[in-house]
Amino acid sequence: MKSVQFSVASRREGDAAIIYPKGYLNNLSGENLVIECGIYIGKGITKIVVNFSETDLINSIGISMLLQIIEDLKNIKGTICCTNMSKLLRDTFEMLGLMQHMLVFPVESDALTYLKTGKL
Amino acid sequence: MSTELKKALYNISALADLGQAITSENDFHEKIQSVLYVITGTFLANKGALLFYDKPTKKLNTLTQKGFAPDDLNRLNPEELMSLGRNEPYLIGGDPVLAVAGAEILTPLWVRDEFIGALLLSGKLTVGPYTLEDLELLNVIANQIAIALNNHSLFMDLSDKLEENRRLYEEMRHIYHGTLQAFAAAIDAKDAYTKNHSHRVAKYSAAIARELGWDEHEIEGMYVAGYLHDVGKLAISNTLLNKVTPFTPEEREEIRKHSTLSHSITAKIKFPWKNVEDMVWHHHERLDGRGYPEALAQESLSDGVRILSLADSFDAMTSQRPYRKKMDVQSAIAELRKNLESQFDHKVMLVFCKVLDKEIKGELPEPDILPHLDRDSDLSVISALLEGIIVELSRP
Repeated sequence: MKSVQFSVASRREGDAAIIYPKGYLNNLSGENLVIECGIYIGKGITKIVVNFSETDLINSIGISMLLQIIEDLKNIKGTICCTNMSKLLRDTFEMLGLMQHMLVFPVESDALTYLKTGKL
Repeated sequence: MSTELKKALYNISALADLGQAITSENDFHEKIQSVLYVITGTFLANKGALLFYDKPTKKLNTLTQKGFAPDDLNRLNPEELMSLGRNEPYLIGGDPVLAVAGAEILTPLWVRDEFIGALLLSGKLTVGPYTLEDLELLNVIANQIAIALNNHSLFMDLSDKLEENRRLYEEMRHIYHGTLQAFAAAIDAKDAYTKNHSHRVAKYSAAIARELGWDEHEIEGMYVAGYLHDVGKLAISNTLLNKVTPFTPEEREEIRKHSTLSHSITAKIKFPWKNVEDMVWHHHERLDGRGYPEALAQESLSDGVRILSLADSFDAMTSQRPYRKKMDVQSAIAELRKNLESQFDHKVMLVFCKVLDKEIKGELPEPDILPHLDRDSDLSVISALLEGIIVELSRP
């Protein structure tokens, strides 16, 4: 299977940052995801939305990166929202017990609404 | 699919990830980083460290880690770790000796009877304890990492030894060349008129060999033969070597012995290069068989002999001798040209002209012949002469 070269894009929406990982999160290039989140955390952002619409697969290395982001946000009492996840991704996160450490929304706009209003 | 089955599949894929990380073409540091990510991702540990045991210093060095304080890792005593089960995960609990802030599980890494290092993990993000399945998986992972680290260590040891051998070899080569130069200086010191002759012949011969496309080892052999071609002169009397008046037939015979003497001396040396002794023995042979000491001709003369013969003659002609003045460069080249086929080889002459012409035109970064030629030489005239000979000798 040919994997897509991993890349990360991001944008700011109010007091939240939205991160768009793209490709298979399975090697050291996934560190860019941690770095991108770290940049926003460094600027004082405590709300991060990770939109997984272009990431179908994640392996143990990718999980480790995600753990790092969860840990970094936990340290500043921040929030991580995951959206647009494939069933495979949801099942993996659920099986590992990660769901209790993040907020999961079907789409990005739901997460942003929640972060803005505190309501679903 | 049950959660247990999903977890089992995840663990299997984590082992595959580990294999891929270990066998990847990344450099060692990247490999080790990937390995640690695989492990922390597999067990949901937010802290992890891979430590390598350095036998000479008997200390644990941190290869990679995330989340731990470096000073805490440095406090770990390898002796204490060695007493634990080999590749068996050990739950630190309240153990005061092995306590590292934030660490929950420690696995000493072993390959056969060799202590390799340790793997340290924090508790899980999900807070739950390490299960029996986790410990079994960690044991499998520890075995794989230990082998990978051991292989790397062996490879590094070999690389270090190779590097050391290379250094020693270079040192030996340096000494070898120093000895040869001392020999050459001794030869040339016997005859004030041939000062640096051996050095120049070595340089010219190597330049021709290089232009002929010889490999570096062969060129070095050619260079050494150039240095030693007149070593037999050490056994010839100074009076005879420095005689100003023409030699008598007996004296000429005596002088001619030097090439056989050179062979006798060099034949006792076990050179790493082929045919050095043959080249010094026959550097006064001629293609027409009228040379000495064996009157060999044509096919009996190797390329090395032909190169040495031309380089020696060219330098002899362009150097001052007690019984005659030195020739200018153009005349010496013309003399070589005149004696083609009878004395000098066509191919070697062509290559000699090409390399000298390139040196004059500045096409070679480190000229070997030009710096030794008469400074009053008109290089444009020499170049024109060489071009003419090159065209002539290049014709089919």
